[in-house]
Amino acid sequence: MNATETDYIKPELMACCGAREIRDGDLVIVGTGFPTVAANIARYTHAPNARMMQESGVYDAQPRRPALSVGDPCLNPGAAFIGSLIDVMGMFLQGCKVDVGFLSGSQVDKYGNINTTVIGDYERPKSRLPGSGGANPIGLLARRVLIIALHDKRRLAEKVDFITTPGYIDGPGSRAKWGLPEDQGPEVIITNKGVLRFDKESKEAYLESYHPDSSIEEILENTPWDLKVAEDVHETPQPTAEELRAIREIIDPMRMITIYLKRGYV
Amino acid sequence: MSKVMTMREAIAEHVHDGDFLFIGGYVCRTPFAAIHEIIRQGKKDLTVTRSNAADDFDMLIGAGAVKRFIATFLSLGVYGLGRCFRRSLEKGVPHKIEIEEYTNLSLPMMLMAGALGMPFIPVKDMVGSDLLQVKSFLGEGKYKVIESPFDGTPTLLVPALNPDVAIIHVQQADENGNAQVWGIEGDCKWGANAARKVIVSCERIVSREVIGKDPSRTIVPDFQVAAVVEEPFGAHPGYTPGFYDVDFMFGSLYQQASNSEEGFRAFLDEWVFGVEDRNAYIQHYIERFGYAQFRGLMAEFDYGYPVSYAY
Repeated sequence: MNATETDYIKPELMACCGAREIRDGDLVIVGTGFPTVAANIARYTHAPNARMMQESGVYDAQPRRPALSVGDPCLNPGAAFIGSLIDVMGMFLQGCKVDVGFLSGSQVDKYGNINTTVIGDYERPKSRLPGSGGANPIGLLARRVLIIALHDKRRLAEKVDFITTPGYIDGPGSRAKWGLPEDQGPEVIITNKGVLRFDKESKEAYLESYHPDSSIEEILENTPWDLKVAEDVHETPQPTAEELRAIREIIDPMRMITIYLKRGYV
Repeated sequence: MSKVMTMREAIAEHVHDGDFLFIGGYVCRTPFAAIHEIIRQGKKDLTVTRSNAADDFDMLIGAGAVKRFIATFLSLGVYGLGRCFRRSLEKGVPHKIEIEEYTNLSLPMMLMAGALGMPFIPVKDMVGSDLLQVKSFLGEGKYKVIESPFDGTPTLLVPALNPDVAIIHVQQADENGNAQVWGIEGDCKWGANAARKVIVSCERIVSREVIGKDPSRTIVPDFQVAAVVEEPFGAHPGYTPGFYDVDFMFGSLYQQASNSEEGFRAFLDEWVFGVEDRNAYIQHYIERFGYAQFRGLMAEFDYGYPVSYAY
């Protein structure tokens, strides 16, 4: 067991939670920010053979600075493969080669459906969001989907305003109706208060662990559905010294992860 | 026959009001010189498409050039939501665009189908989502669900797209239009080859002999191309691999400006209407921010091993 570190920020803990979901040898399709940091932590700790790709067409990039978009110039030199959206989203993702997809959403519901399209009515939006981009195919076609979200009653929902990216849709059997494998889909929602995992039978997210400065009560109060709590619910393990060293010394020496503090990940 | 012309000539001759345009780029190789010229010439009622749209599409929408948008996504990346995009859809400013929404898998597949001369193509995404509940100008033609004739599973079909014109920015092309890229491609190759004609904007024009030294890099052959425009720095504030980096300072400037309608108009007055072409734009950039800032964007050189095609 590695020594744990108590001096860390919440985004680091959340990235570590993501990293722990990644297995050695996984092919991971990542966006920028949390997903990249998490996948890299895994790679520098327990999963040295995990490999990343970006939807823009890149596989196994070797960036010398944190990528600020999935099209960032730093993804080009040193990559093992650069092609097109058809290559990564078509050949690799639709071709069922991708193990893990990593998504965030403005709104996420108890079945892991994600909204990145619109808050309010579609025709008369209160807030118009960017749209699917690669999220919908990643959510539908990656074997395991990890979701990052802020934990409050606005960002989590009993039912999202618009399903941009289906999780388990309406619950058990919903994916099968569309010919999708029932055993694929969201694994966890990692929030700034805890980790919610999806029940294999009911397909509903339940509380698996609460972060060290949160509590079961606080999480229940801030979740807009009747959140079930695991029998073995526990405190989220803190980042290890090894994980923090990977973040601070190798992956993100510029400390760009701190921008998430301003975005409410505290 | 040389197809080399200025951007003003290329847009005037080949882009018409009401056209359907594919505009390539993915942060990488955004054809901004062409975008600005389209706005300067006051083109309107355009239908535009590409996967993962960004500041260039936001600007076209804000300038009122767009009627319809076949979309997957639009944001300013690290600078957040597209302000003009939001004003259009939330407040109808300058007018409400019509938007038909797909994803970064289905849209490139639709362009690929168009390039391959197929009428439609099956895709495995979108099912189970509300993207199937909303239909705009494509109406019932947005998609069809059938039972696969092979095994009966529900299968989503999406239509092929064949834009009137594709506009792409590439590293190099010859004067007939054989266009070469390296680095992140996005949906550039399929979008360009799906179109009836292509405007190639490039960092440099090279000879046909140079193209032939590494022909695997050519994504569009000359017979597809109607115009070739040499526009160094033509993707700024996006980047071109091997030439220059993303200009984050300028990205922030655009975000700040586009926060308000007035700011956006002032931005266009300064950077689009206030300059006559890309050369004047570069000159204005250097005068405004200094040569060091401009020079700082230029890429280092790190050549790969030359390849040999000899036999």
